[in-house]
Amino acid sequence: MLPLSLLRTAVNHPMLVELKNGETYNGHLVSCDNWMNINLREVICTSRDGDRFWRMPECYVRGSTIKYLRIPDEVIDMVKEDVMQKSKGRGEVRGRGGRGGRGRGKENKRMKIVEIRM
Amino acid sequence: MSSYLPGTASLIEEIDKKLLVVLRDGRTLIGFLRSIDQFANLVLHRTIERIHVGKKYGDIERGIFIIRGENVVLLGEVNTENEANPALIKVPIDEILEMQREEQVQKQQEEELKKKALKERGLHLTDHSILDDYC
Repeated sequence: MLPLSLLRTAVNHPMLVELKNGETYNGHLVSCDNWMNINLREVICTSRDGDRFWRMPECYVRGSTIKYLRIPDEVIDMVKEDVMQKSKGRGEVRGRGGRGGRGRGKENKRMKIVEIRM
Repeated sequence: MSSYLPGTASLIEEIDKKLLVVLRDGRTLIGFLRSIDQFANLVLHRTIERIHVGKKYGDIERGIFIIRGENVVLLGEVNTENEANPALIKVPIDEILEMQREEQVQKQQEEELKKKALKERGLHLTDHSILDDYC
């Protein structure tokens, strides 16, 4: 799972974003894109020295200005469940198909369709 | 290492290992590397921030980090077995934060003195605060 995919699964979760200039933004992630540009809502901005605060209903952060993002622990658990479910699904297809499941592309897709019809 | 992979691909070898990451702002993070991409963006899991002041250090739990690759100075595996380095002393968070504050104040004062001394000799230091955006 790529870092940006993890960020995508963190949509609607609270997070802390620190910019390169040291300012931090606490808020809920609304959306993000492949450049790490993000939209936050219900934001609290904290100055570099940590003694001034601003509240804003929403804000947009350009990806290139970000130093790091901190996301809640449960997001990784969500990813784990996701991966588990996917691999489980694949296992079933392989098992019932009675083949190695090593096939690629079209062959594999056709197999799946047949199984769904059954 | 079995085979050399060019670029950030070599970081694949480090996945799920406990790594120490130093950022451009001087911070030290230690956590398990869970993911990377072509920009060396990193995902650190169960991360702690380690603050060093002299021979003392303190750890603060920080959870999961998605670090933008450009901010990384260096990273490397930390030996989990003999982590207890006798040369370093672990202290509580409050204590290390207080020591860090004192160190910062002291550094600032030294900077001021240096600036003053140079000014008296007709030299003007460039104001580094204009570089703040890149710290």
